[in-house]
Amino acid sequence: MPHQDTPIYSAMLEAVCDTFEKMAFVEVTEQSDELEQEIPSDAIWVSILIHDPLQGEIRLAIPQGLLTNMTADMFGIELSDVEEKQRQDIIAEILNTLAGLFMTNLLPDDQSYKLGLPEHGEGPIPEVEDGSILWNLKIEGSPLLLIVNGIGFMS
Amino acid sequence: MKRIVIADDSATARMFIRRCLDIIGLGDAEIIEVEHGKEALAAAKAAPTDLLLSDLNMPVMDGETLLKWVKASPKLMDMPVVIITSAGNPAKEQELLKLGALKVLNKPVAPPMLMDALSMFLED
Repeated sequence: MPHQDTPIYSAMLEAVCDTFEKMAFVEVTEQSDELEQEIPSDAIWVSILIHDPLQGEIRLAIPQGLLTNMTADMFGIELSDVEEKQRQDIIAEILNTLAGLFMTNLLPDDQSYKLGLPEHGEGPIPEVEDGSILWNLKIEGSPLLLIVNGIGFMS
Repeated sequence: MKRIVIADDSATARMFIRRCLDIIGLGDAEIIEVEHGKEALAAAKAAPTDLLLSDLNMPVMDGETLLKWVKASPKLMDMPVVIITSAGNPAKEQELLKLGALKVLNKPVAPPMLMDALSMFLED
């Protein structure tokens, strides 16, 4: 079954769209195969661990320019006033929020879950592992990449 | 003037909550922002506090531990605590309500959610 037809894919897509719309007031759409745009190698990325009831990791990568624009809009400041600390905080909080929504969408109501704290990635985005699930998305023409790794998610 | 403590390790989350408070008519409250539960306890003990809004996942002291400390403290036990979290679901919500939380809200928080949660508080 293609990933796009699985409950995990739709649970994440809904979580991502909801989070970006409510926090950053931007619309997230899926990239069509024909128009697929790769995430730049210098994109900013952040990851969060899922500890329980499944073990896995969610990774979010966003181009620097898009994150700077979103930060300026969200904090209501000029682009030139955006600080690195603010950009890092926003991407971490977005991932934290969408990870929670994703687990809520995916699991039964009576199932608790435990997430780690967001961690900022250093250097280029790590190579995608075999069996990872990818969401190739876009915001206002810029690519956005989400990856889920973890044995529990593949079954 | 009401005194409100916001505990969240994310400046973005605190900014969102502050904006929501402003929109629902609590913009003139004295708002103290802190980054984790230990700082929240200190802030709440420093002066009579009307409301504590706390995240769940925080370094140093998480929101659940903070809630237990508040409810065990004779000085703070009557202070309403609202948990605003990305790690909430019905099972977790029930657990936190049993521990004494007034409400448990899921992120991303929006003004109507906060207004509904604080309706009794806003009437005072």
